[in-house]
Amino acid sequence: MPSARPELAALSDQEVVLVARSGQEAAYRELVRRYERPIFALLFRMVRDRELAEDLAQETFVKALNAIDSYRPEFKFSSWIFKISNNAAIDHLRRRELDTLSLDGSPHAETPEAMQATALQIGARQESPLDTVEAKELGTAIEAAIGTLRPEYRSCILLRHVEGRAYEEIAEILNLPLGTVKTYIHRARNELRLSLAHLKE
Amino acid sequence: MTRSSGPHLSPDQFEAWLDGELAPELQRHLDECQACLEQARVDREIADQIALLPLMGPGEGFADRVMAAVAIPDPFAIRSLQATRRRLFATPKSLAFAASLALLLLGSMAGSIAWTLSHQATMASIGTWLLSQGGQVAWLGLRGIASNFIEQPWYDGIRSLLETPARLALISALASLAYLGGVFALRRLLAVPTQQVAHAGF
Repeated sequence: MPSARPELAALSDQEVVLVARSGQEAAYRELVRRYERPIFALLFRMVRDRELAEDLAQETFVKALNAIDSYRPEFKFSSWIFKISNNAAIDHLRRRELDTLSLDGSPHAETPEAMQATALQIGARQESPLDTVEAKELGTAIEAAIGTLRPEYRSCILLRHVEGRAYEEIAEILNLPLGTVKTYIHRARNELRLSLAHLKE
Repeated sequence: MTRSSGPHLSPDQFEAWLDGELAPELQRHLDECQACLEQARVDREIADQIALLPLMGPGEGFADRVMAAVAIPDPFAIRSLQATRRRLFATPKSLAFAASLALLLLGSMAGSIAWTLSHQATMASIGTWLLSQGGQVAWLGLRGIASNFIEQPWYDGIRSLLETPARLALISALASLAYLGGVFALRRLLAVPTQQVAHAGF
């Protein structure tokens, strides 16, 4: 991977955007360099398909960079681009509507009974964490277990624990109330705990 | 340890504990409540495991593929525009000139409105005269153009094209399409130029 120009690497995201708006290709590339890995990693863990994640990441960057004039510097650039990528992933998952809106039911369900009542039942194509137990690979099992979470939970927990984003930023990215973000993260961890319980045995 | 004081911690409070920001009275509850302590321990363990997931990135040439689809504004066009703006507002003299021009325009507009409002009778008579004269001139012009048009050898052919309502509608649709095409072409011609992106890396 090519390294950034030193003068650009020292600038904040907002400053790099200003340089990009003056028509300098190097500034556009610097933004890609800074965010290609986190955006790709988020998308890969959302859609669990490398080629598709790369397509969605490309779509995210093209959309963001072609609309760089509409970015408002009072907000974090990271929030803006994560929001675009998360929307791309959620749109794709809604279109596909198979591996994702399956196990969990409505995200607004408050009780396990309500979640069960609103859940869709699918089976064969779902990647089960149990399959990966045999591999005795905790990392792989966690990856698979994250893949079974509903998309909203998945976005929240990945942004929090993989990307280290603040709750407020996650709320902004996902357009959710702060309390909902915390609840989703908590529920996601509980579901992961249940999915991974067999590893303890 | 097994005795708990007060209700169990909420999701918000477990998040606060993970961030090391749990209030002391809640921390006391956590120390005493086996269920909350177990939940907190599992939360920590899962959060740590997720944080250890490997970093991953897109394939080689990703940035080039992105840049191939990005239209970067031409820096020369942007610089020219900025330079023009700077020239216009750079010195007190040019700024005063721009302000005078704006004042003159606004002043003349305000003056004409004020004069019109205070001389409504005069304006009405001028308007009536202009309408009658203008109408006559327009009518004469129209008649001249029409008679000239009718004399042309291709007039009958054109007229036969528009004889039925269906043909008239078709010709109107074609004319509208041609008009839209012209507008689109004009927009493309007047768009800010973009430079071709080089794919040779930094």
